[in-house]
Amino acid sequence: MTEPERPPAAGAATTLVTAALVVVLGGAAVAGALNLGVGSASAPGPGMWPALVGAALVVLGGVLAARARGTEDAERFTRTGLLVLAATGTMVVFVAVVGVIGFEIPTVSLAFVWLRFLGRESWRLSAIVSVAATAAFYLLFVGALGVTIPHLF
Amino acid sequence: MDSLSPVLDGFAVVLEPKNLLYCLLGVVIGMLIGVLPGLGPAATIAILLPMTFGLEPVTSIIMLAGIFYGAQYGGTITSVLLRLPGEASSVVTVFDGHAMARQGRAGTALGIAAIGSFTGGTLSIVALTLVAPFVAGFALDFGPPEYTALALLGILLVATVSNGGKVKALIAAAAGLLLATVGRDDFISVERFTFGNLSLADGLDFVPIAMGLFGLGEILYNLEERHRATQAPAAVTDVWPSRADLRQASGAIGRGGVLGFLLGILPGGGAVLSSLAAYAWEKRRARHPERFGHGAIEGVAAPETANNAAATSSFIPLLSLGIPANATMAVIFGALLIQGVTPGPQLVTEHPELFWGVVNSMYLGNVLLLIMSLPLVGLFVRILRVRPAILAPITALITLIGAYTVRNDVFDIGLVVFFGVLGYLMKKTGFDPGPLVLAFVLGSLLETSLRRSLLLFDGNPAGFLTRPISGVLLACFLLVAVLPAARTLLHRRRAHLDRVPSGNE
Amino acid sequence: MRSRVLGASVATVLALSACGGNLDDSASDAGSTFPERAVRVLVGQDAGGSTDLIARALAEPASADLKKPVTVLNKAGANGGVAAKELAGAEADGYTLMVFNGSLAYITPLAVAADEAVDINGFEVVTGVSQDDYVLVANPKTGFKTVKDIVDAKRPITFATTGVGTGSQLCQELLFAQASVDATAVPFNGGAPALTAALGGQVDVAAVQLGEGQSQIKAGKVTPIVTFAAERPAYLPDTPTAQESGYTALVQQSRAIVAPKGAPRETLDRLRAAFQKAFAEQKYKDFNAQRSLTPNEVDGATLLRQWNASRDTYRGLIEKYKIDLSGKS
Repeated sequence: MTEPERPPAAGAATTLVTAALVVVLGGAAVAGALNLGVGSASAPGPGMWPALVGAALVVLGGVLAARARGTEDAERFTRTGLLVLAATGTMVVFVAVVGVIGFEIPTVSLAFVWLRFLGRESWRLSAIVSVAATAAFYLLFVGALGVTIPHLF
Repeated sequence: MDSLSPVLDGFAVVLEPKNLLYCLLGVVIGMLIGVLPGLGPAATIAILLPMTFGLEPVTSIIMLAGIFYGAQYGGTITSVLLRLPGEASSVVTVFDGHAMARQGRAGTALGIAAIGSFTGGTLSIVALTLVAPFVAGFALDFGPPEYTALALLGILLVATVSNGGKVKALIAAAAGLLLATVGRDDFISVERFTFGNLSLADGLDFVPIAMGLFGLGEILYNLEERHRATQAPAAVTDVWPSRADLRQASGAIGRGGVLGFLLGILPGGGAVLSSLAAYAWEKRRARHPERFGHGAIEGVAAPETANNAAATSSFIPLLSLGIPANATMAVIFGALLIQGVTPGPQLVTEHPELFWGVVNSMYLGNVLLLIMSLPLVGLFVRILRVRPAILAPITALITLIGAYTVRNDVFDIGLVVFFGVLGYLMKKTGFDPGPLVLAFVLGSLLETSLRRSLLLFDGNPAGFLTRPISGVLLACFLLVAVLPAARTLLHRRRAHLDRVPSGNE
Repeated sequence: MRSRVLGASVATVLALSACGGNLDDSASDAGSTFPERAVRVLVGQDAGGSTDLIARALAEPASADLKKPVTVLNKAGANGGVAAKELAGAEADGYTLMVFNGSLAYITPLAVAADEAVDINGFEVVTGVSQDDYVLVANPKTGFKTVKDIVDAKRPITFATTGVGTGSQLCQELLFAQASVDATAVPFNGGAPALTAALGGQVDVAAVQLGEGQSQIKAGKVTPIVTFAAERPAYLPDTPTAQESGYTALVQQSRAIVAPKGAPRETLDRLRAAFQKAFAEQKYKDFNAQRSLTPNEVDGATLLRQWNASRDTYRGLIEKYKIDLSGKS
C-alpha cells in the first residue's frame, strides 16, 4: 500500500458550505423547471423531471447539513491549493486561444509551464518534453487520425 | 446436421488469408483508439469507412467489428492506469482498477481484465452462435415501460456501488440526473438549461464529463498532493494475476459474462447497465463488501467481462433484426448499406456467409486480442514508472485534445476543464464522481422512457405493473431497495431486544 | 493487401499534412485555381445516419474530381442547427460546405422559437441532392392495412415519430387530424428506435423514412399503409400515397449541398460540376437505390423555390388543422 495518509480533515463549516451549495443548485433547478412548465401525468411537461430531481437535491442538501457534525470525509483547503488554481488558469488560457492560434503553441506552453513551474523539472527536460509531446500529438491527431482541431501547420 | 454447415462455411470464410489480415488490422486499430480517450469506435469507423469501399462486404465488416470489440479491450487500459474511462461502460472498472494500480497491482488488474474480456467475449459468441435467432425477439419486448424499470434499477445500483457516505452518493447521483436534462427537450421543443448556448442544445456528452471528473480531477488533486508529501510512483510488482487471483475472480467472470450477454441485446444503454449490474452483484454477494473500491479483483473482472460480452451480443439485434443497438452499430449498419447489403430479418438466410463469417471472425479476434494484450500489459504498466510531474501535463493535454475529437467543438475542451475543477472539488469534499457519471448516463434513458410510458399509458402509472417484464423489474427494484433497509431495521430491533430482555414483546 | 492499406493511410497522412493549417488566415484568391486545399463538408447529424451516409457517399467521388480531399465533419446538434450556425460563420470561399436537411429549412421553423429557426435563404445552394419519402407502417398485430382500417377501428391510437419537429411528426399529425383519429404522438430519437417501437408493438403505427423501413417491410414484420410522397415511389409501388387516399399530407425529407452566403459564383459552379460527376457514378446510383432515395439533383435556384414553397404550404396546413408541432398541444 503506497496510499499516502489523508491530509487534514475539514471541519463542519466546509460541509455546511457544500450542503448550502447543493440546496442552492436544487432550488435553482426547481425554479428553472417550474418556468419550463411541469405539465400533468398524462402530458408531462419539460419541467416535471428536473423539478423532481431539483427537489431531491434540496432535501438531500438539508440532510447533509443536518449531519455536518458527523461527516469527516472532507479535506481542508490549504495553500497548496493555489497550485491547482494556477494549473486551472493555464487550461482556461488554452481553451481561450486554441480556436484562434491553433493548438500547437498553447500545447507547448501548457506542457512547459506544468513541467517547469508546477513540476519543478529542469529547464532542459521541460523544453524537450513539451516540444516532443506536442510533435507526437500533432502526428497522432492531425496526421494519423485526421482530427480537425485548429492547427497552424 | 444441415443447420451446422453454414456455421462451418463461416469458418472457411474467416480463414481466408485476406480476412485474417483485416481481422488483425481491425483489432489492432480498435485497441489503439480504445487507449486514446475521446475518439470512440463509432467515430473511428466513420473515418475509416472510405477505406472499406474497395473490400468485399464480409471482409470490411470483419475489420469494422474488430475495431469495435478491440476498443473495448483498449478502454480498460486508460481506466486502470490513468483513471480515464474512455467509454461509459468502463466507468465502473475505474473504481477498483485504479485502486489496484495505486497499490502497484496494475499488471494484475490489466491481466484479469484481459482474461475476463476474452472469456466474456467468447462466451457471448458461443451464445450468439447457438441462440441468436431465439433471443433476438427479446430486444423487441423491451418498450418504454421496460426501459423505465431497467433504468430505475440501474440508478439504484449506482447508489449502492459507491463507497463514500450514502447521502453524498445520492447528491452526486441527483446532480448527474440534472446534468442529463440539459439540452433541447425530446418531447416538446424547448431548450432546457442551455442558457442560449447552441453547443448545449444537444445536451452534454459523456466524454467531457467522465474525463473531467475522473481523469483531470485526479490530476489536479495529485498536483496538490505531490507538494505535500513526496510520493514515489507505485512500485509495479507481480505483473501476472496469480493462481489465487484467478480463483478469486473466476466466479465474477462467469456471472459478468451471463449478465453482459443478456443486457447487451437491448438497444440503448445495455453495455453500461451490464457493467454496473455485474459490479453491484459482486459487491452485494461478497463476504466483505468494504473491499470494493479499494482494489477488489472481482470489481475489475466482473464489469470488464460484462462489457465485452455485451459488445458482442449487441451484434444480435443488428444482424438478426436490422436494428442498430448503439452508435457503433449504426455506423456498421451504414457500412453494410454502402456495400449493398441491407441488414434486416433476412440477412441470415440471404447472406449466410456474411453472418457466419462475421460471427466466427469474433472468435479469432478475441484470441488475437488476448495474445496481444497480455504482453502489452507489461509494457503499459511502465507508464506508471514515469515521474508524475512529467505524466501529469501529458495526460492533461491528451484529455483536452481528446475531448475536442468527440464533437469537433472547442466548447467541449472548456467543459473538460470545468468538470476537472469540479472533480477536484468533489474529491476534496468527499464526493465520489462515480454515481454522478453513471446517473448522467442513465438519466436521459430514465426520463425519456418514463415520459414515453406516461404518453402510452395516458398518464396512468398502473400500466407499469400490468406488463410482465416491467412488473418483474420493478419487483426486483423494490427487493433491492427495501430488503437491506428491512434487514437493518430487523438487526436494530434484535439488538434492542437483546439489550432489553424484558422488552414489551 | 496489407501494403495497399498502409499505402492508403500513408497517402492520407501526407495529403492531410500537405493541406497545411486549417485556420483560414490566408485568404486565397478563388477562381480558376479552386480548390487549392481540402474541402470540408459539415454534417449536422451523427456519423451513421442517413444524412451522414449521403455525405460520405458523395465525398469520395467528388474528391476524385476536385483532386483534393473532401472531408466529412460531423457537428451534430439541434437537428443540424449547430452545423448551420458554424457554416454561416465560416469564410465564404467554398472550402466549407454542408449537407443541409430540408426539414431544418421548412419544418423545424414551424416547431421552434423564431430566433432558433434557420433560414435557408441566408445560404448559397450548390446543388440539390435527393429526396427521401416517409412511409406509415403498422405492427401486423394491429390488423391495420389501410388508413380506413385505422379510422374504422374507432379507438385512440399511438404513433411513434422520429422526433419533435420532424417530417415524421408533421406527416402523421396531418393525416390523423384530417382523418379525425384520436392519436397520441410518442417521440423517439431517430428512425431506428421509432421503427423498433412499431416492430415490438409498443405503438400502433410509426412513420419512418423509406430506406429505414424497407427491409422490415420486405420481411413482413411491419405493414406499409401509405406513403407521404407526391407519387408512388418506385421502391414501394403497391402502397398508395396519402394523396390517393384522400388526404393532403405531402411531406418529404430533402437534402442539398449548401455554402455560406457570398461564395464566388465560379467556385460554386466548380463544386456543382464536381457533385454532378459524383451523381453520375454507378456506385452512387446503387447507393441511392439501396437507401430508397429519389434523386433531386436540381440547381440552387430551383431548390430554394421547392423548399420555400414547402415551408409556406406546411405553415398553411398546420394553421388550418390547428396542429402544434412543438408538442405542446
